[in-house]
Amino acid sequence: MGEPSPHSAASQGAGIDLSQFFQVFFEEAGENLERMEQMLLAIDIEAADEETLNAIFRCAHSVKGGAATFGFADVAELTHQMETLLDKLRRHELQPTTAMVDVLLESGDALKAQLARHQGSGDDPIETEALLRTIRALVEGGEGGVGAPLARPLAVQDAVSRGACASVSSPAPIVTTVRALVLTVGPLADPRQAENLFELFREIPDLGTIEPLDGGQAIDGVRRLRIVTTTPDAELIDLCTFHVAREALRLEPATEGYGFHAGAPGAPPEPDPPDPGYGFFENAPGGPQGQGDEAVAPAPAAVAAPPVVPGAASTPRTAPSRPAASGAESSTLRVSVEKVDQLINLVGELVITQAMLAQTGKGVDTALYQQLASGLADLERNTRDLQEAVMSIRMIPMSVVFNRFPRMLRDLAGKLGKKVELVTQGEATELDKGVIEKITDPLTHLVRNSCDHGIELPAERLARGKPETGIVTLVASHQGGSIVIEVRDDGKGLSRRKLLAKARERGLDVHDGMSDQDVYGLIFAPGFSTASEVTDVSGRGVGMDVVKKNIVALGGSVEIDSAEGHGMTVRVRLPLTLAIMDGMSVGVADECYILPLSSVVESFQVQPGMIRTIGGSGRVVEVRDEYMPVIDLERVFDVPRFDFEKAADIMVVVEAEGGRAALLVDELIGQQQIVVKNLEANYRRVDDVSGATILGDGRVALILDVGALVRRSRH
Amino acid sequence: MHSILAVDDSASMRQMVSFTLKNAGFNVVEAVDGQDAWDKAGKADFDLVLTDQNMPRMDGISLTRKLRENPRFKSTPILILTTESSDQMKQAGRAAGATGWLVKPFDPSKLIEVIGKVIR
Repeated sequence: MGEPSPHSAASQGAGIDLSQFFQVFFEEAGENLERMEQMLLAIDIEAADEETLNAIFRCAHSVKGGAATFGFADVAELTHQMETLLDKLRRHELQPTTAMVDVLLESGDALKAQLARHQGSGDDPIETEALLRTIRALVEGGEGGVGAPLARPLAVQDAVSRGACASVSSPAPIVTTVRALVLTVGPLADPRQAENLFELFREIPDLGTIEPLDGGQAIDGVRRLRIVTTTPDAELIDLCTFHVAREALRLEPATEGYGFHAGAPGAPPEPDPPDPGYGFFENAPGGPQGQGDEAVAPAPAAVAAPPVVPGAASTPRTAPSRPAASGAESSTLRVSVEKVDQLINLVGELVITQAMLAQTGKGVDTALYQQLASGLADLERNTRDLQEAVMSIRMIPMSVVFNRFPRMLRDLAGKLGKKVELVTQGEATELDKGVIEKITDPLTHLVRNSCDHGIELPAERLARGKPETGIVTLVASHQGGSIVIEVRDDGKGLSRRKLLAKARERGLDVHDGMSDQDVYGLIFAPGFSTASEVTDVSGRGVGMDVVKKNIVALGGSVEIDSAEGHGMTVRVRLPLTLAIMDGMSVGVADECYILPLSSVVESFQVQPGMIRTIGGSGRVVEVRDEYMPVIDLERVFDVPRFDFEKAADIMVVVEAEGGRAALLVDELIGQQQIVVKNLEANYRRVDDVSGATILGDGRVALILDVGALVRRSRH
Repeated sequence: MHSILAVDDSASMRQMVSFTLKNAGFNVVEAVDGQDAWDKAGKADFDLVLTDQNMPRMDGISLTRKLRENPRFKSTPILILTTESSDQMKQAGRAAGATGWLVKPFDPSKLIEVIGKVIR
């Protein structure tokens, strides 16, 4: 083990490269900042509860501890200031104000930027001087004495000095050498002279932090102070000589603090090492061993050896039993997404193999091979359980996305001069990580749109007899095999008249007889924007079409509902996962196609006379007083048919994009879970087909794009 | 091999401490807060407890107090890791029965040095 000098870079210690812990620290710090932001947004300024204040404090505290340990001086610096403010809040020494919440939120942003920079993205140092100054002012504002005279009560002095640490906005190196030093001042005729040093650190923001080690009490005229700084020793001493004679100053590296309480159980022989960084208590249990002067201490740390075992007498310490210990590690595990995906792929292959086996198993005589049959049944169940378990690893709650909106809306509403409240429901609904990542941007756009174009200005709302504060609601829920996310607002809603007028202006093909659904759908047309003025908040009419495209690319769909003057709802429907779906296989002649089970409504045998031909080419079928278009899959896909005696006589009613259609097929083969293989990636895009899969017997089957089929049937 | 219970709510600190200790030849059991540590202390013996102070559910000082009530931990060294080195904090640690304190941030060699004073 090397003997690292206390001046060595903070990332080296005991021959251990601290950088190996950086990634965990970054993730953890990110989570803490995220949590802090949410709590800050949720806080009730009038009656902030202690629990929340403590929790917020702990977030800042935790980030600070890690940043200081791993050598991120700028992060440690800013969190230290935040912590000082938060500490006062949780101790009720200060009352929370909106200004405080604002500066803490901004600080959170700055910290995120600093962390991103340390992770290698962006190289401009983050300017935090103004933030630090604001926080300091807020901290001191509570004391009622900005720039109060030096001779103030010691307790106050202490508090101020803790708040008075400065920005080490070190521009160049990513890992700055932060050193902790002990400054011994004295003996002085008047120990108060040392107080000037606090002022010095307050005046020069880049100097670092200073705090008393002696609780403000001089012992024999000597004061001991702890300094955390990046400034070289010589420079530091030079600065201090403005206030205290050079002879009276002694600077030593603080061998990063520890101590033992004299006589504490297990405390080491020398009761109080000169080292301020750690300590053992006198007579405390478990302290260091040795023939310490305090014989009072019980045999430290030794579980009294049973005298019956004479052989063990030489070892005062009985070996503690610890087999149970090794299993008890921390309860979560961070695993790379690649590993999980590999697992999912393997399970996908297993599912296919299992399906093949099941298929083959159908052919054997179950009376003869009973065990084989029950084994296959078990395999099927186990495979399904395994698949669900593996898929669930990738499932993360919607709250991951929803949580970013309170902040965004707060900023947005502020910028637009609107009052907006966000309500979220179903945050716990889980969705595949891949889907969540891809849906975040479209959802952000929708929420932004609601706030910008939907919610009216407070005055306008009042004039319309609505409450001043508009409400944007986000709801996530499971519906069958898919997840539905709704973005609702109680704003002005869509105007059918305006939309049609705008569409005509743009030369789009519209007519007054269009259904509301279709009219509202116009806002998804490329380049279509209804806002009379373009704002810098929502885009310039690009956007909604991109939103729709992204959602459709995920295998999802968007619907709009609106009532003019009362608001609008955008309903996004998404598959739970992109990798696996429940499908219904249908046969057409010798071909097999898969329908997403979530889109299947019902199926029935066609009776003669049920199908009617209308207006030349169109055919419709009447199902319980509802007419719906008939789609003959045989014709759509030009399926060759050799057995002309047989005709398709089964109808499968499917629903998608708010419409229904009846598909004409030969037979229903069965329901099964299928592993979706992307057709575009392996071949090219094919109309009316969303993907492909491998069947139990090894054949390839196409998965039908029901949305596209329903759309086709409308024309 | 000596066994150490390392308690910290921060995963990165836990990892750093744990890695350092394992590197130095100790057996390490991690706990994510005081409550978790208390549960784990009920299942195994330790030669040293190294605990953070500020944690959710149960802080380091409360953990120390509880451990001392248990005859099995009557004389086990307990070190509190803290970012505050104030006398007030030290007195609270002392009153709870802690063996000593170690101020954060510390570097790995310091940790080993301090532990070497109570375990050998």
